[in-house]
Amino acid sequence: MKFRWLVTVAAGVALLNGAVHADQLADIKKKGELVVGVLGTDEPQSYIDPKTRELVGYEVDLGRAVAQKLGVKPVFKQITLAARIPELQQGHVDLLAASLTHNKEREAQIDFSVTTFVTNQQVMVKAASPVKDVADLTGKRVATAKGSSMEVNIKKAVPTVTVISFDTSPQALVAMQQGKAVAFVNEDQSLARALVEMGDQRKDYRLLPTSISTESLALGIKKGEAGFKKAVDETLRELESSGKAQALYDQYFGAKSALKMGARRFKMESDQITE
Amino acid sequence: MIQFDPQMLLAGQYHDMLVAGFKMSLQYLFYGLCLSLPLGLLIALCRLSPFKLLRAFGTSYVEVVRSIPLLAHMLFWYFGVPEMLPTALKEVLYESPVESICAVLAISVYVAAYMAEDIRSGIRAVPAVQLEAARAIGLSYVQAMRLVILPQALRLTVPPLISQTLNLWKGTSIATVIGAAELMYEVGQVESQSFRSFEAFAFASVAYLTVSLVITGLASWFQHRYPVRTM
Repeated sequence: MKFRWLVTVAAGVALLNGAVHADQLADIKKKGELVVGVLGTDEPQSYIDPKTRELVGYEVDLGRAVAQKLGVKPVFKQITLAARIPELQQGHVDLLAASLTHNKEREAQIDFSVTTFVTNQQVMVKAASPVKDVADLTGKRVATAKGSSMEVNIKKAVPTVTVISFDTSPQALVAMQQGKAVAFVNEDQSLARALVEMGDQRKDYRLLPTSISTESLALGIKKGEAGFKKAVDETLRELESSGKAQALYDQYFGAKSALKMGARRFKMESDQITE
Repeated sequence: MIQFDPQMLLAGQYHDMLVAGFKMSLQYLFYGLCLSLPLGLLIALCRLSPFKLLRAFGTSYVEVVRSIPLLAHMLFWYFGVPEMLPTALKEVLYESPVESICAVLAISVYVAAYMAEDIRSGIRAVPAVQLEAARAIGLSYVQAMRLVILPQALRLTVPPLISQTLNLWKGTSIATVIGAAELMYEVGQVESQSFRSFEAFAFASVAYLTVSLVITGLASWFQHRYPVRTM
């Protein structure tokens, strides 16, 4: 009797295991929804529209496109910058659309889709600051956000800087504005956004001419899910060939947006990055 | 399957970062204790003082500080308070390790409110007739407090104070939100650079647990060595 009970449990465990190890693409189609991890506080990548109170943005639209391609319902889950990779690895989200930088170190942890955006990391200082370019930051205090690649890149660009990292980018910006740090490092689109938010005060700040790094953003996919990755890549390449990718750029970053960031200089076609 | 790699915790760059964070946390604990104990005692004495104004100050301090989460205290002392200082003073502060200074201030102010309550209950546990007797033999109020009441009260207060020290120790981890380079901050740094979350947090947990156990051990040793005298 006892033995039979054990067999039942063992069979149940085996079944459960089987379900966990099945192909993710099949799983997503079976449950009829694609869980997309977004930051939700990162205009214009993913943010809450103040008028409609709905989650919108460039990455949100990419997530929707993938869900549409798979014929399932997109479900957006807000996650934090620092927890985004564990959330994907532990299967809490199927797809990561969270301003995720594609780099070699992370390739060991997760897979990446084709490049969805290319960003330059730049340094903001006060207009009156004696710092003329990145090299002048020697020995200075620089504010960034925790868990970001800026932390590493500014150290690479100027090894002697003291990096102070905060939970969010706005906090890091405030620390720079209050004078607790000389400079604030962020991606060009976020800096453009911050300058727009500042309104009249934007003349008190400037960006240093040299970028500390150029990085490719991509969607994050759990390691070893080839079928799902193929579907995501196909979706993105179709957006590129149909011209929708350009339209999305114009809507969120380019001429039609508040940021007005200038012409698009990348294409959604390759998942290879150069170091 | 994710492998646990203890090697990265024992040597190398990540080990150095974590140990530096641990040392910083211990310093916060030390300076926090040096500030919060006298402040707590002062507030407790205010709450028990014969003057109405001091009593009101003590009561409002305890109620206000205890009602606001430590996280909010931390952000207030870092982003708020320095901005109220005159420019010259502010510049001096920003030249120094401002994160650490603000973190220690925030945590001391916070824990002092709890310590004040523990000290006050210790003082109240000493029968009122002792104060009356001390005054009757001609001691002033301050002398009676210093020579008769406090020596008995503080012995009663030590066990709860040690448990507040435990709170102080765990509270230092909140300083990570203002970019203070203590243990939790370094854990976050190691995590985001190496993606070894499990190892980094294992180190932090063991470090916090070890120091907490030492503090608890001290408490029981003290109680054994210096038992409360019956009055």
